[in-house]
Amino acid sequence: MKAIERIWTIGLNTVREAIRNKLLYTLLFFAIVMIGTGVIVGSISYVEGSRILQDVGLASIRLFSTGIAIFVGVGLIHGEVYRRTIYTILSKPVSRAEFLIGKFVGLVMTIWLQLLIMSAAFVVVSLLSGAPVDLGHASALGLIGVELAIVVAVATLFSAFTTPMLASFFTLGIYMMGHLSRDLLQIGANSESASLERITRVIYEVLPDLEMYNLSIQAVHQLPIAASEVWLPVLYGLGYVAAILFAASHIFERRDFK
Amino acid sequence: MSSESEIVQVRDVVKDFRPGFGIRKKRVLHGISFDVMQGEIFGFVGPNGAGKTTTLKLLMGLIRATSGTAKILGHDIGETAFRREVGFLPENAYFYDYLTGREVLDFYARLSGVPSRERANRVETLLDWVGLSYAGDSRIRTYSKGMAQRVGIAQALVHDPSVVFLDEPMSGLDPIGRKEIRDLIIRLRTEGKTVFMNTHILSDVEMVCDRVAIIVEGKIRYQGHTHDFLDDGEHDCEIVVSGVEPELATQLEERHGAELRGQGERVEMRVAEKKVGAVLDAVLKARGRVLAVTPQRVSLESIFLDAVREEEGAQ
Ligand SMILES: Nc1ncnc2c1ncn2[C@@H]1O[C@H](COP(=O)(O)OP(=O)(O)OP(=O)(O)O)[C@@H](O)[C@H]1O
Ligand SMILES: [Mg+2]
Repeated sequence: MKAIERIWTIGLNTVREAIRNKLLYTLLFFAIVMIGTGVIVGSISYVEGSRILQDVGLASIRLFSTGIAIFVGVGLIHGEVYRRTIYTILSKPVSRAEFLIGKFVGLVMTIWLQLLIMSAAFVVVSLLSGAPVDLGHASALGLIGVELAIVVAVATLFSAFTTPMLASFFTLGIYMMGHLSRDLLQIGANSESASLERITRVIYEVLPDLEMYNLSIQAVHQLPIAASEVWLPVLYGLGYVAAILFAASHIFERRDFK
Repeated sequence: MSSESEIVQVRDVVKDFRPGFGIRKKRVLHGISFDVMQGEIFGFVGPNGAGKTTTLKLLMGLIRATSGTAKILGHDIGETAFRREVGFLPENAYFYDYLTGREVLDFYARLSGVPSRERANRVETLLDWVGLSYAGDSRIRTYSKGMAQRVGIAQALVHDPSVVFLDEPMSGLDPIGRKEIRDLIIRLRTEGKTVFMNTHILSDVEMVCDRVAIIVEGKIRYQGHTHDFLDDGEHDCEIVVSGVEPELATQLEERHGAELRGQGERVEMRVAEKKVGAVLDAVLKARGRVLAVTPQRVSLESIFLDAVREEEGAQ
């Protein structure tokens, strides 16, 4: 059997765990409630009702799916070690890297599944309230999906060697810095200090630039979106995820499971 | 593979744990070496905390040795592909409790590369072997401890491995379950499989194991074949008699080297096996009565206790 099949087996099982875990339904329920709230807010404000609706909708999709990604991701590997389910899995012809990547793939599939459901709700609500839905919205939602894969990869990395508590702290930190890193770069460039400029440059290079995954404004305001605004972030995301998983596997390879 | 080849080869393995923040180190395995041969049931016994589970986790690649080497089927234990031929039951095995027994076994069979056309069949066979067919569609969450243990044994065998490692296979099982698992282990031997078994239940070892190693405080203190101490060699006999007059007592002690305890109606003595005939003759001639003659086997228990005392004495 090939590595891909083992990774797929572990991934599918991870999806199955999420589906059988009631907690995820609760979160999904809240997300849909949030989108619904957008409808209500949108319908009571007279100016640009449909834009507010879509703004709130996309923002809540981003917020909730990132929340779920971090919340589940930080315990992804730790839980397996803690509950010792990993013992029997690694005694089979499964390498540690395959296990880790399989867990990552499984969580990404789970999160994407949820994103799909939320997107469907978004489309239905938009159409019902007469707001347009086009390729811009699809691009915005697609890039949220890529960003989520990065967030899951980061959470997986921390989950491979630390507790869920610390991992969520670190992942959340990286997520927020990732959204601010462009601003930081700007601050560094505007400052007179060369060392500050260098520091912000390094932060920008090392941390993911997550602002590029935010096409909400363009989508909601029907502004034109260049093709490169989509495929560049996708490529960057793929590379970033690969690098993080490589590092995570490396760290995971050296661990003792006690 | 010849019948004398080593399936497991452990050489000078040292393991240090660094509890807390890793400043102090705690040596748990002090350079252990042993071999497990093709087709044998190997018992790895020792008191609580001796390092049995640590050794097994090391062999399964779950923890890394500080120094030394270990091989299974000729492969370095850091590799993964050869684990197609390895089964493992961990101590207090845990499984995904949102899965049913059947799903768990199917999952492990997939991971082990059991072809899809054989998988369903193999899963049913194993459920049957461990007596869980009736509960195959219930979630593991609803299983009792003994049922979970049976799932553990089933997943260790679902891919038909040639060598099986079991950490306390009988733990949590009722007497019938114990007997069933013992029979299962013996059946594995008749199928030509090699079994490595951690336990501290000595009677299980005496019943199923071909060879045993005793580990105490991270050092191997004894290795031997179970038949060596179970059925041959020089044994003492315990003889119980009544009606022993003082002059008979003196005679037994002086002529036959018997050690007597008690007097009159119940006298117990310990004599070498080859003197038993002469002692009984003397007793009967003096009109004493023989109440019991019991051969004293060197038991695994006494070897075990000696090994532990020896280690305590060495400190
Ligand atoms: N992760 C760990 N960190 C520090 N010490 C450990 C760790 N795991 C085990 N030990 C120590 O290693 C020693 C051996 O433990 P091990 O679990 O191998 O014993 P065992 O022979 O399996 O005992 P038992 O019969 O109770 O299962 C014990 O002294 C234990 O305290
Ligand atoms: Mg143990």
